[in-house]
Amino acid sequence: MTTSPTRPQPDPEQRRHIEELVSVLPGRSDHQKFDEPWEVRAFAIVVAAHTSGQYPWSDFQQALIDSIKGWEESAGATGDPSWSYYEHWVNALEAVLDRRGAVDPAAVELRTREVLAAPPSRNHHDPHYEPVAVHAAVRS
Amino acid sequence: MNDVNRTQQEIAARVKALESMMIEQGLVTTEMVDHYVEIYENQVGPQLGAIAVARAWTDPGFKARLLENATEACKELGIGGMQGEHMVVLEDTDDVHHAIVCTLCSCYPWPVLGTPPNWYKEPQYRSRMVREPRKVLAEEFGFSIPDTTEIRVWDSSSEIRYWVLPQRPPGTEGWTEEQLADLVTRDSMIGVGPARAAS
Repeated sequence: MTTSPTRPQPDPEQRRHIEELVSVLPGRSDHQKFDEPWEVRAFAIVVAAHTSGQYPWSDFQQALIDSIKGWEESAGATGDPSWSYYEHWVNALEAVLDRRGAVDPAAVELRTREVLAAPPSRNHHDPHYEPVAVHAAVRS
Repeated sequence: MNDVNRTQQEIAARVKALESMMIEQGLVTTEMVDHYVEIYENQVGPQLGAIAVARAWTDPGFKARLLENATEACKELGIGGMQGEHMVVLEDTDDVHHAIVCTLCSCYPWPVLGTPPNWYKEPQYRSRMVREPRKVLAEEFGFSIPDTTEIRVWDSSSEIRYWVLPQRPPGTEGWTEEQLADLVTRDSMIGVGPARAAS
């Protein structure tokens, strides 16, 4: 559709590579369907950090297995029906980064509070009833 | 490790926090993360807007109701209940083309349109679209709007969320709603691209 430099087209080869990575992970058959915007963000961070050499994929795989296992055990005990696959991705990522001394869990906690406390931007709640810009037609 | 009862808002904030810290430490770059998001961005969210657009193309009564009150009309299709926001649908014609901007992803009706692309959230997109929409559409998106068509740019907020009813592609007479919905792209509902051509 467009080949603009600001909008790189996905490379099918890369997509296949990602799908190979994902295929060895537990817990999901219909992979790469995201229900919330943060899920695709978390997914992309995990793949990007691995691709840039921050951790071997097997480390992430194991951490994901551990997180899901922990959930299954506690959910089994409490009857908790909640399930969020990508939340386990976030848990696993934090665990891998912590183990490698890359990101401190306490700092993550602090930063998360900061994000939550950030005020919504101004004008957010004002409705705008007219176009903000009109580029007139030229008709002869 | 095992906080399974976090709210969506908390977990979204956590992901944001992790990303910003990892970028600061040079573990990843924004470009890398964006790149992987791009690959899958069309698979986030239900993109229910495509169904509504296809219905509007085939059912004039529905189209009239959609343009009159999009929030109510969408309820007919089981689309709605999202934060109670007021949706307004803008119809493209030969005379007028619409595009929407908003720098805040929370102002984007993502259950209708799928996930907001990253460029949509960039201040540069918004400011340039307001300043020179015809040029941005042509240069950045390869979408040429004829000079004889006026362009209107609309600002979405949490109070009014705009989206675009693109023009039905020629050569699709007699198509089913399902076939038509496949032609409706997220970009066409933002107003930065046409619906896909019939092939």
